[in-house]
Amino acid sequence: MEKIEYTDEGQFFSGHVACAGCVEALSMRVILNTLGKDTVGVVAPSCSAVILGGHPMSAAKIPVLHGTLESAAASASGVKRALKAQGRDDTTVLCLAGDGGTYDIGLQALSSAAERNEDILYVCFDNEGYMNTGGQKSSSTPRNAATGSTPFGKTTRKKNLIEILAAHRIPYIATVSPSHLNDMAAKIAKAQTIEGTKVVIVLIPCLPGWGVADNDAVATARLGVESGVFPLFEIEDGVRYTMTKSDKSDAINGYLKKQKRYRHLTEADRADLQAEVDETWSRLLAQAETTV
Amino acid sequence: MKDIRTPLWTHLTSEPRKTGTWRSALPLYQNESSPCLDACPVSGRVAEWIKQVKDGDLRGAWETLSDNNPFPAIAGRICHHPCEIACNRRDHDETVGICSLERFVGDMALDQGWQFPLPTKERTQSIAVVGSGPAGLSGAYQLRRLGFQVSLYELKEELGGLMRYGIPSYRLARDVLDGEINRIIAMNVTLHTRHDVTDASGLRDLQSKHDAVFLATGASRPKPLPGLDYTQPWVVDSAIFLAATPNDQAQMTGAHVLVIGGGSAAMDVARSARRLGRKVTVLSLEAEGQLPAQEVEVVEAREESVLFVSGAMLQQAASADGVVEAGCTRVEFVPGGTPGSFSVAPIQGSDFTLMVDTIIPAIGQDADLDRWAQLLDPDGPVISTDGNWQTSRKGVFAGGDLASMTRFVTEAVGMGKDAAHAITATLDRDCAALTPPAQAFVGNDRINTAYQADHARSTQPVVPASTRLKSFDEVQQPLTQDQAHQEASRCFSCGTCIYCDNCYFYCPDMAITKLENGYSVDPDYCKGCGLCVAECPTGSIHMQEDELT
Ligand SMILES: Cc1cc2nc3c(=O)[nH]c(=O)nc-3n(C[C@H](O)[C@H](O)[C@H](O)COP(=O)(O)OP(=O)(O)OC[C@H]3O[C@@H](n4cnc5c(N)ncnc54)[C@H](O)[C@@H]3O)c2cc1C
Ligand SMILES: Cc1ncc(C[n+]2csc(CCOP(=O)(O)OP(=O)(O)O)c2C)c(N)n1
Ligand code: SF4
Ligand code: SF4
Ligand code: SF4
Ligand SMILES: [Mg+2]
Repeated sequence: MEKIEYTDEGQFFSGHVACAGCVEALSMRVILNTLGKDTVGVVAPSCSAVILGGHPMSAAKIPVLHGTLESAAASASGVKRALKAQGRDDTTVLCLAGDGGTYDIGLQALSSAAERNEDILYVCFDNEGYMNTGGQKSSSTPRNAATGSTPFGKTTRKKNLIEILAAHRIPYIATVSPSHLNDMAAKIAKAQTIEGTKVVIVLIPCLPGWGVADNDAVATARLGVESGVFPLFEIEDGVRYTMTKSDKSDAINGYLKKQKRYRHLTEADRADLQAEVDETWSRLLAQAETTV
Repeated sequence: MKDIRTPLWTHLTSEPRKTGTWRSALPLYQNESSPCLDACPVSGRVAEWIKQVKDGDLRGAWETLSDNNPFPAIAGRICHHPCEIACNRRDHDETVGICSLERFVGDMALDQGWQFPLPTKERTQSIAVVGSGPAGLSGAYQLRRLGFQVSLYELKEELGGLMRYGIPSYRLARDVLDGEINRIIAMNVTLHTRHDVTDASGLRDLQSKHDAVFLATGASRPKPLPGLDYTQPWVVDSAIFLAATPNDQAQMTGAHVLVIGGGSAAMDVARSARRLGRKVTVLSLEAEGQLPAQEVEVVEAREESVLFVSGAMLQQAASADGVVEAGCTRVEFVPGGTPGSFSVAPIQGSDFTLMVDTIIPAIGQDADLDRWAQLLDPDGPVISTDGNWQTSRKGVFAGGDLASMTRFVTEAVGMGKDAAHAITATLDRDCAALTPPAQAFVGNDRINTAYQADHARSTQPVVPASTRLKSFDEVQQPLTQDQAHQEASRCFSCGTCIYCDNCYFYCPDMAITKLENGYSVDPDYCKGCGLCVAECPTGSIHMQEDELT
């Protein structure tokens, strides 16, 4: 069996207030320890802001600037430029935001930063909804998923942010999952060495938001990856696609079953979702094949 | 009022916040039993020694194995392996080849000449062990390890019981048998071979010379088959046949041998006769696929062109014009609730006749209880014992086929071990009898198979049937070093921590600390989510509810 290999250097502290079993905290542990000491954080209002904060305490060893929901990428750009002005070119600027802050409210700031190819590492914790505010839908919420504001299931599909980002031709885009910690650490480490705008999207099964048991978020994420709902891959310069895992299992049922937000689905709903997954998957595979 | 030009610096870590107060359950590291261990007649710590094989520590693996069984090379060849049947890996792809690994380790020990150490403390008390089958030898071995002086009394010239006089060399090579027995005798066991403990008075006599007696004389009386005249020259007793040399076996048999029975002994008779060039038919009450012999034995017998007539019984046999006419009829066979019990109903009008030259009934053996009649109480077909293998006479213990109807080599080894510990407990107040606590084992639901790659089982090579019929050499060949390592890696290590660090890395609260030899959980920060438990591949950690204070 493959051993998990990154080293925990104490960059993320116990005593944070993430829910018990939260894999956003788990992912933060991997990311902060992989990036190391010479890093400055910028965080948008989101679960990650709650997890890191609680003034006058912080769960991160690095300095973190808490920004606004609209402007995380802009704030991070500014921080990076200020550091450069101080001669600290090598300091990594890590921007943390949720899907609401990325797909919706902060999209213009992110698009502008990407267009300018600002030298920031932008990590989006994609829990597919506005979760720290009680679980409302975002444009990242998948079709049919129930949220506080779509109690009978969302009627439109999840926005394909990755294709939007790829259209910006930024140097690096990657997807990672808390079920694959070595891969997460490796992609974060790789992103750190690249200059320009890097975006990493992390799948975060939200325990209360998705209706997942406290001990089950890693298994849920794993099923998401294995069923192809959340494929693991990289895109370099917006065009070169590499699949991290180029096979998927047949069915998404196991993944759906773990989550109460899909409890009301009919067979037809499930088939719709399956068709969507299959279509996205074959499109991705085709893109990865034309790359090589 | 605060000067707004002073930035609001965060100056504390979150560590003073003791989020452990949220919790109602805490993970507990605890190695637990595995299904294989639970099923193993000697309670061998399977997950532990297989991990040692995986880590390349074969000496360590052998020592772990030998704690409970001095015969890994033998058991690896002929054990009925209930462990494999119970293995958790079954539902993933295929069970782990525990026996082939055990053989690999056992063979290595013989190759390397590894010996058992003498006890660190010798005791003055002496124990008589009667019978040198697997039960007696296992008892002698454990008693020597515990420091007792051991005298072994055996009727025959050579040691091993049915392992030598029953199980043929093509299933258990004699150098392997000798090697594993000699290693026990080398622990300074005093031998008395060709010593017949004839009756109750002989047993009393032994008791007067020793502090305790362990009786392990097996079950040596062939069960008679009704309707068969044993005085005829064409009727040969299976026990005598199997104990004989191939030359003598050839003398005893004609061109077509009819073997009666469906167990291990019947298969052994049939396959030995095939090696003598005989045509062999096996007649069994049980229907096809229900034979009590191990599946591999039946498969190999078929490969060796043994013919099977299943679901039928012999009614009478007589010889005429130099041929034996065996009158048979088909039957309805219904297995009973206890091992060996069954009922049969002949099917009207289904009679048929087989023309053969020799008939060898091999339908099981009974324990000789008459010998001890005035001294030891029987319990049905075996000697009566209490939970600690003590017979009705204080100081006389019994085990193996003599005391039990579960008739397998490793069952006998397990009884020998348990009896040795029970004897120790009666002679030394400070030692408790070794009754393994009824332990729950780690079932499939506690194994996280996401960390297990699919990998087919490595099977032992088998000599082709045409070659193996030319000799009495071993059929099953060993795994290579690489195959053994590969096979050991397939074990889930159910209930035994493999120090993979998954629990440490999957904790979102950094509540787990790696120690030099394990892990600790910090109750100040553990929120009790159970992720560490869920992501443990081996089930070596579980959540325990906090106690209310
Ligand atoms: C042909 C055959 C094949 C088998 N194959 C298998 C197999 O593949 N796998 C498996 O697990 N099991 C197998 N078995 C069953 C297994 O061999 C027995 O269950 C096991 O050997 C019982 O061990 P034991 O020590 O109780 O008795 P035994 O092995 O019978 O040993 C008893 C010993 O006591 C000695 N003895 C008897 N009476 C006296 C006396 N009065 N004084 C002194 N010594 C005495 C005998 O000479 C003998 O050496 C087979 C049995 C047979 C008959
Ligand atoms: C402009 C603006 N609107 C609303 C809010 C309130 N608010 C804070 S966090 C948040 C939800 C953010 O959702 P997401 O980015 O997905 O993060 P999550 O809580 O799911 O981690 C909202 C609506 C805000 N801070 N600013
Ligand atoms: S996987 Fe290993 S420990 Fe688990 S039951 Fe099978 S042999 Fe035993
Ligand atoms: S993962 Fe951490 S917080 Fe969760 S139960 Fe285990 S030790 Fe406690
Ligand atoms: S996760 Fe790994 S290290 Fe932790 S208890 Fe289980 S086997 Fe041991
Ligand atoms: Mg969100």
